[in-house]
Amino acid sequence: MSHADFPAPIPPATLLAYWLGELDEAAEAQLDEHLLGCGDCSGQLQALVELGDGIRKLTCRGSLRGVFTDALPKRLAEAGLRVREYRVPRDGSVHCTIAPEDDIVVARLQVPLEDIRQLDLIVLNPEGQGHERLQHVPFDSSASDVVVLPGTDLLRALPVSTMRMQLIAVEHGSDRLIGEYTFHHTPWAELQT
Amino acid sequence: MFTLAYASRVEADPQDFALDAAEPDDASLARRIEAARPGVATAAEAELYRRLAPRVRLYGLKHLRERQAAADLVQQVLLMTIERLRAGQVREPERLASYVLGMCRMVVLDLQRTHARHERLLGTFAQDLSGDGPTTPHLDDASLLRCLQRLPERERSILVMTFYDDRQARDVAVDLGISEGNVRVIRHRGLGRLRECMDSSEAAP
Repeated sequence: MSHADFPAPIPPATLLAYWLGELDEAAEAQLDEHLLGCGDCSGQLQALVELGDGIRKLTCRGSLRGVFTDALPKRLAEAGLRVREYRVPRDGSVHCTIAPEDDIVVARLQVPLEDIRQLDLIVLNPEGQGHERLQHVPFDSSASDVVVLPGTDLLRALPVSTMRMQLIAVEHGSDRLIGEYTFHHTPWAELQT
Repeated sequence: MFTLAYASRVEADPQDFALDAAEPDDASLARRIEAARPGVATAAEAELYRRLAPRVRLYGLKHLRERQAAADLVQQVLLMTIERLRAGQVREPERLASYVLGMCRMVVLDLQRTHARHERLLGTFAQDLSGDGPTTPHLDDASLLRCLQRLPERERSILVMTFYDDRQARDVAVDLGISEGNVRVIRHRGLGRLRECMDSSEAAP
């Protein structure tokens, strides 16, 4: 098949599926050949690969903030990154910091998750300065915690402060508070004095 | 680059005319190389190398998942392809992509089996190469971070879980306890929004 025979441009979803090895053998072989003959489509794939490289870099740097599952911090630790973890009991609190050598900080918010269909996370900023609601956060219903990466850039910039997070189960359009978590943050330097 | 090393050793062929007048397709370049005396169609060889190197590199990254191995693949495949074009051993230049694919498959298997052969090939042809692969444009980290943080939580998480170590939808679905189809939909939507945001960041003054 020449590259002219292939329906072009190749949709980004197909290129991503190809890159991730999700296509069947025949489709993958067809795309292999098409991409070797088509500068435009290989350029699109190159852009996708660069995007992936960028996401990987930001993740390893700890810059990304978000809610993930247990799989991500496990992989980061396996890759040799230094991961600082805090397990926070339901309606409990923790004293926390970030060390200069830490690459990633993970907060594990402990809560039973079975039967939860939608989960939102409310982050109450230090000293009551507003809040942010992250809707529909991902979670593994068979797990007993929600994995939050607060972002190392943010943490390194924090003074001594207290931050709260709330987990909200959204059921039939109404909210139910299922856990509240308090973080007493102290900058690393202050802990050394 | 590859062609500069050649240019210093060969006399330019007047038939190796400027390539920018009318953009020749890959097959035309291949025919020019075949028609010229070996090593003389330097401009055609350079252009073919310039076009094929990033494509072969992507093939290598996809199938070998290792940057250095992909760079080795580029050098080996393109050197062999051009050598065979020079020798008139590529029977259907209009099916060059198919030919290059065959070479890629062969070399990937070879690279996977043993390092000895690729070291030898690199040693043989090293003088013709200045060791540079295709350059990749730099992605602006700050824009990417800003665009990622703007995504809805689920889209961002699924994109990160996908791209961090190139995980398939079915694996991400298992982690999240949702369907594979659902992961694909969220992933597709997130990728679209991310690209849109990055495009508008690039367009911004």
